[in-house]
Amino acid sequence: MKNKQRGNNMMWGYIMVGPTILGLLILNIYPFIDTIRLSLSATKAFGAYEFVGLQNYMDMFASTEFWKATWNSIWFCVLTVPVGVFLALLLAILLNANIKGKSIFRTIYFLPMVVAPAAVAMVWKWMFNAEFGIINSLLGTRIKWITDPSIVLFTCAVVSVWSSVGYDAILLLSGIQNISKSYYEAASLDGAGPIKQFFTITIPMVSPTLFVVLIMRLMASLKVYDLIYMMVDQSNPALTDAQSLMYLFYRESFIAGNKGYASAIVIWTVLLIGVVTAIQFIGQKKWVNYEV
Amino acid sequence: MTIKKSSSNILTYVVLGAGAILMLFPFVWMVLTAFKSNFEAMQIPPTILPSQWNLDAFKKAMDSLPFANLYINTALLIFFRIICAVVFSSMAGYGFAKLAFPGKNLLFGIVLIQMMLPSQIFIIPQYQMLASMGLTNTIFALVFPGLVSAFGTFFLRQAYLGIPDEISEAAYLDGCNTWQAFVKVMFPLTTAASAALAVFTAVFAYGDLMWPLIANTDLTMMTLASGLSTLNGQFTTNFPVLMAGSLLAMAPMLVLYMIFQRQFIEGVAMTGGK
Amino acid sequence: MKNTKKIAAGTLAAVMAAGMVGCGGQSGTGSNGQVNLTFQIWDVGQRDGMQAMCDAYTAKNPNVKIEVQVTSWNEYWTKLEAAATSQKMPDIFWMHTNEILKYADNGMLADVSDIVETDKFSDISLSNAQGSDGKLYGVPKDKDVICLAYNKELFDQAGVAYPDENWTWDDLVTASQTIYDATGKYGYMAYADDQLGYWNFVYQNGGYILNDDKTKAGFTQPATAEAMEFYINLQKNDWCPDQTYFAEQAPGAAFLSGQGAMYLEGTWNFLPMLQNNPELNGKLAVAALPKAPSPASGDGRATISNGLCYATAANNKNMDVVKDVLKFFGSEEGQRIQGESGAAIPAYNGLEQTWVDAFKDYDIDVSICIPMFEYGVQSVNNASRPEWKTKVSDELLKIYSGQVELQQGLQNMQDIVDQASAK
Repeated sequence: MKNKQRGNNMMWGYIMVGPTILGLLILNIYPFIDTIRLSLSATKAFGAYEFVGLQNYMDMFASTEFWKATWNSIWFCVLTVPVGVFLALLLAILLNANIKGKSIFRTIYFLPMVVAPAAVAMVWKWMFNAEFGIINSLLGTRIKWITDPSIVLFTCAVVSVWSSVGYDAILLLSGIQNISKSYYEAASLDGAGPIKQFFTITIPMVSPTLFVVLIMRLMASLKVYDLIYMMVDQSNPALTDAQSLMYLFYRESFIAGNKGYASAIVIWTVLLIGVVTAIQFIGQKKWVNYEV
Repeated sequence: MTIKKSSSNILTYVVLGAGAILMLFPFVWMVLTAFKSNFEAMQIPPTILPSQWNLDAFKKAMDSLPFANLYINTALLIFFRIICAVVFSSMAGYGFAKLAFPGKNLLFGIVLIQMMLPSQIFIIPQYQMLASMGLTNTIFALVFPGLVSAFGTFFLRQAYLGIPDEISEAAYLDGCNTWQAFVKVMFPLTTAASAALAVFTAVFAYGDLMWPLIANTDLTMMTLASGLSTLNGQFTTNFPVLMAGSLLAMAPMLVLYMIFQRQFIEGVAMTGGK
Repeated sequence: MKNTKKIAAGTLAAVMAAGMVGCGGQSGTGSNGQVNLTFQIWDVGQRDGMQAMCDAYTAKNPNVKIEVQVTSWNEYWTKLEAAATSQKMPDIFWMHTNEILKYADNGMLADVSDIVETDKFSDISLSNAQGSDGKLYGVPKDKDVICLAYNKELFDQAGVAYPDENWTWDDLVTASQTIYDATGKYGYMAYADDQLGYWNFVYQNGGYILNDDKTKAGFTQPATAEAMEFYINLQKNDWCPDQTYFAEQAPGAAFLSGQGAMYLEGTWNFLPMLQNNPELNGKLAVAALPKAPSPASGDGRATISNGLCYATAANNKNMDVVKDVLKFFGSEEGQRIQGESGAAIPAYNGLEQTWVDAFKDYDIDVSICIPMFEYGVQSVNNASRPEWKTKVSDELLKIYSGQVELQQGLQNMQDIVDQASAK
């Protein structure tokens, strides 16, 4: 009986994961393997290539532009992930409070979700314009938000957090609302205050969701491209101070036509994300709680 | 107790209110800019209200883009991507969370690897597959890269991990096979997570830029995002037109979102006391 | 749930079916001999002109249908390369000098030498459509020059005489200073662009960016270096915004809002500017570029002259029909329709006036642009231009921001181009 069920389970396992795995293999894994091949090749236009071993990687590691882009990607992560996730958690808790009009607040905070990132970047770029922008006008400053090399990445980080905080809060809120009221009632009877309840009940219970949000944000930040691409033009003198790894990839691959070199940058980015993710998955055992 | 409660309520209101202003301001500025003339928009210092509310920017945006087509294409794209993501990811998420089979970790590794890969590297190979099928400039072309979702699988696996094994074992005891246990018992327990995934899928399908630009060259087969980018290419620094275009692109999404959000929150609330 | 699955399966099938009947990226031939062609361009402003030209052709050839598709410049090349790699290029598309050698030299474009009336086009127009082997891989479409756009209102306010063809760089500097002192607005806005900026000054001064056989750069040549130094140092004047300013608004946008009096603009942009910004009517005026005061060679005049062409893929399946259409696009009739639409100056000799006349509703005289073709210099390109273009402009920005000394920066630019061109 038990064996039969196990065999049954095995077959069902393959059936259940089959469509997704097949799709991923065709749509994503094959292109990835192709990228590895390209990273070992000198590419010419229109798909022609020639095997050159590790030459692209050697060129890459010798390039200051590449190291700057790596640093920019990491720095962007540091600027956006902790602040963004903290604000999202705070927002989720506030929105879970029993107050009037919270559905209006929810609607407002989740608004950026219904705006295409292209439009978000457009309006922020316009507001941050040093010359004609409303932000400098309101603050009475002449800060070069988008063209000052020491500020530009902060500006992009602000826009990134603004766009994602509502969505992250939705995820966390659904996690918080899944926590049974009985835990809080029991804790109240034991005399635990709201702050103690927050750390002993809310955080552990919402930790699986929090983990998903963290992983998602880390990966998205390390891969950031669209936002910086739209905020920082190629004619911007601060470009090298804002250029992320994937922006560099885009410029090398699609504008300069260096697909081989660009592929090496992708492989590096994937390794970087892999290391960060692995650390997260190892670290999660310490704080993520799957026992419900 | 009541004083303490009301003072904490006031604090909540103040924090939420201040944040709400920050969230809303870009939209307000979008609207105000869209009604200005390009000349007025580029004055120093900027005027707050348009000196004359004019609709020229909207006219120009509508002349440049077939908005009706863009709305329909975007709606279809989102609809099919959600169906695919929820159905296939629920199956796979359940499989990875609750079923035992050899090679499970290896296969789940594929899911994790995909999540680490930047989507830009898929564009050219996926385009080549699509082109060899002769399917560029179609709705299918828009949906194509989203037929399956690694993130969805990962996300729903987390949701299924949160459901105690006893529940599915109880279903087996009732005579359900694995599929029936999944469809009748387990899937309904993840409504909230599935709804969250649907929102996530919709948001990304709506915002996806590079792929629709490459896959569908015909202006009438574009999405709102790729249409906006085309508008950006034409009116690079004409901010009133860009803002008007963004508003037109947002409007129906905004309405749908208001309707959808209520159901979503109710869905979440429904599973609150499981 | 069963229902959901059924719906999912049903909708997927429906999508597939929709895909089957959808129009692909490339032409199709219907059962009744109908030929459907796609025609891809990057400028929405020229869509109506292109459509009018297609309509004129299809009126005579009712069995042909041509669909004009517009993609913005930024994505055009990504898209075209993807299409070329998959052998699915549009039937007809615009080609730019920046990219033509890459496509032509890799065998992507069809040789159209046999349908171009070579005696009707200037040498520059023809060389803009040539591959490295000298064959024509495109039918010349239009031609352009770079002019000095200026704001009459600001000149009047400052009491400065309008620029004329005798102006030199010194006059440009003096007028800028006077305008800045009188109005507080910027004078000449020296943008770090190549075609719309320093290239013009380099050639005026007798320098060059690429040598005649396009194998070596000329950044370290004395005449080139002198012009580069002059141009880059313009930014040090109070009357010139720095490059961070232009990163947020191109000179055209600053000009439009009345923040600056002069900048370099290409002829293709004047009509769309006036159409989109009625406030400019009466303010915007055009002059020839100022001369180099003491050129190393030549008379100090030069302007970068570029031009687009219409091209088709080497492997197009409807080559006979496409070539017939292209032939029409390159004929006097086709070029006249394009000129009358006002978007660009026809490449076809003798039709320049059609473009000038397109401005009849506006208070501006653009006829000054036409004689400039006599001293036009072909827009700089070689096969590796896509590779060095962005690197050179990155390097130039480093000079502007002071990260690199001028001499060192020019040497770096020289090395970048030489290395890329040697491959």
